Amino acid sequence: MTTAILEARGLTKKYGDRVVVDHLDLSCRRGTVLGLLGSNGAGKTTTLRMLYGFVPPDEGAIFYAGKRFSDHRSEAKRSIGVCTQDDSLDYDFTVAQNLFIYASYFRPRVESLERRVADLLDRFELTPYADASPYVLSGGFVRRLLIARSIVHQPSVLFLDEPTTGLDPSARLDVWELIDGMRAEGLAIVLTTHYMDEAERLSDELLVIHQGRGVVRGEPHRVIDTALGDHVVIVPRGEPARQEIEAWLRSKGAQPVATVLGELRVPVSKEILIELTARFKDATWQVRPPNLDDLFIALARQNGRFA
Amino acid sequence: MTAWTTLMAVFDWRSWAVLRRHALVFLRNWRTAVIPPAMEPVIFLVAFGIGFSGYVEDLSYRGTHVDYATYVSAGLIAYTGFGTPYYEALYSAYVRMFYQKTWDGILATQVELPSVVWGEILWAALRGMVNISIVSVVILLFDFLGVVEVQAGWLVFMPFFGFLAGAAVASFALIFTAIVPAIDHMNYPVFLIGWPVSLVSNTFFPIEPQNEALWALMQINPVYQLAECARGLLVLGNPGTHLAGLCASSVLFLVPCTLLAVRLTRRRVLGS
Repeated sequence: MTTAILEARGLTKKYGDRVVVDHLDLSCRRGTVLGLLGSNGAGKTTTLRMLYGFVPPDEGAIFYAGKRFSDHRSEAKRSIGVCTQDDSLDYDFTVAQNLFIYASYFRPRVESLERRVADLLDRFELTPYADASPYVLSGGFVRRLLIARSIVHQPSVLFLDEPTTGLDPSARLDVWELIDGMRAEGLAIVLTTHYMDEAERLSDELLVIHQGRGVVRGEPHRVIDTALGDHVVIVPRGEPARQEIEAWLRSKGAQPVATVLGELRVPVSKEILIELTARFKDATWQVRPPNLDDLFIALARQNGRFA
Repeated sequence: MTAWTTLMAVFDWRSWAVLRRHALVFLRNWRTAVIPPAMEPVIFLVAFGIGFSGYVEDLSYRGTHVDYATYVSAGLIAYTGFGTPYYEALYSAYVRMFYQKTWDGILATQVELPSVVWGEILWAALRGMVNISIVSVVILLFDFLGVVEVQAGWLVFMPFFGFLAGAAVASFALIFTAIVPAIDHMNYPVFLIGWPVSLVSNTFFPIEPQNEALWALMQINPVYQLAECARGLLVLGNPGTHLAGLCASSVLFLVPCTLLAVRLTRRRVLGS
């Protein structure tokens, strides 16, 4: 296992009496994607803002390539790329000029900048728009330009804050491909998203943040298995034995994670599923593997008791 | 970050990178950007200078008679040296910060917040310098036509004096940029401070306060010092104490206002 290029230990941030991030640890290695998950207000954004130096942590330390961020701030900022959720493109410049002007905010200067910009325009399929204003770009291409801009200086770590929010399914898949490509090139990527399928597919490791604390971490399947178990039983709204099934599952320690449009969703272990099948032979229900949606909802409803 | 490092950021490449960005945008639109500063002094000199000259017969400046148009021409330099950076740092900076999210993009790089603020200050002062250069050309033209009578050689120095005062004014304006909730609220710094300062700084008419406190207040006003320095040079070829006054008052404004602007902007933009 390679050493983490990004490591944070005991990150804590308070605003007044409110602890927004509470002794959070995380790390990310080259060529991997770390997915940061959490509901609104969980502390993801504050964590990111500390990681890219917008706000200082009250406690804890951040290391880039083993060097403490607070002691090597300029060097560290040279090695990170930030693609914020908001569109912060410079609309006073053309698409290509956005890459050139952004590169001018880094020292040492980007080597062979002309070629680097041409390569990025080509790779992100922005060449036809190179001399156009970003105003002409669709949402998907704006996002492409934002990502291209954030790596123009060839960083080692890339922060992608909800990179596909607001994009249509096709544009989302395009961005996934780009992220996958950047990971293959050895970039360490920290990704936040509200799309569970995106987090599950793209992340090599997940860190679920709840109320400022890291409550679950690990590979996506392991995280889900650890938190929820093997299966999710779905009992439809019209099932006559629904209440009886729910009561029985509760007696076995299984907690429904959600009721969606009257449909009951309960994560269960393999053993409970076998018993359930034997006991309620005439009832109708479905079984599927648990996914991050279940985890996310469970986390929100059960107040983060997964750690 | 200490006050010293915040102030020293003016010499950092990051501040100059931000300044370069603003300058590049200006150069893309310079044709439209230079017309208003060229027309404004023409209108002022014709309307106030020539128009009022008939009514204001005896205007004495440091013991020397000057006609009103000549008096106003120096005032126009101060007016431009104040107005251009003040409004640039109020409106243009606010648009870049709030609407265009330009600052957010820049801050996601190696550039730190003090450099963003310094970039705005330097750019606003440079805009003032550019506009004073244009005004100086117009004054030179009016001098050639005999409408005003100035020692034209000193006009070369006006943009540099304007840069000093402009930096001070811009740092002051950025405090408001950092705190106004919405762009509509810019009316307050414009009408409560902008207009009064541009009028009571010996720009268009002389003010000689008898009250010591008011007199002291005028001395620390860089716009007043710029007006008097410009007038001293253009009329008499001697700035008197006002060149030193301009330097001192500009620094007196620039240092605390920049520190405060950085502090308030940090709270607004970075939330810390």
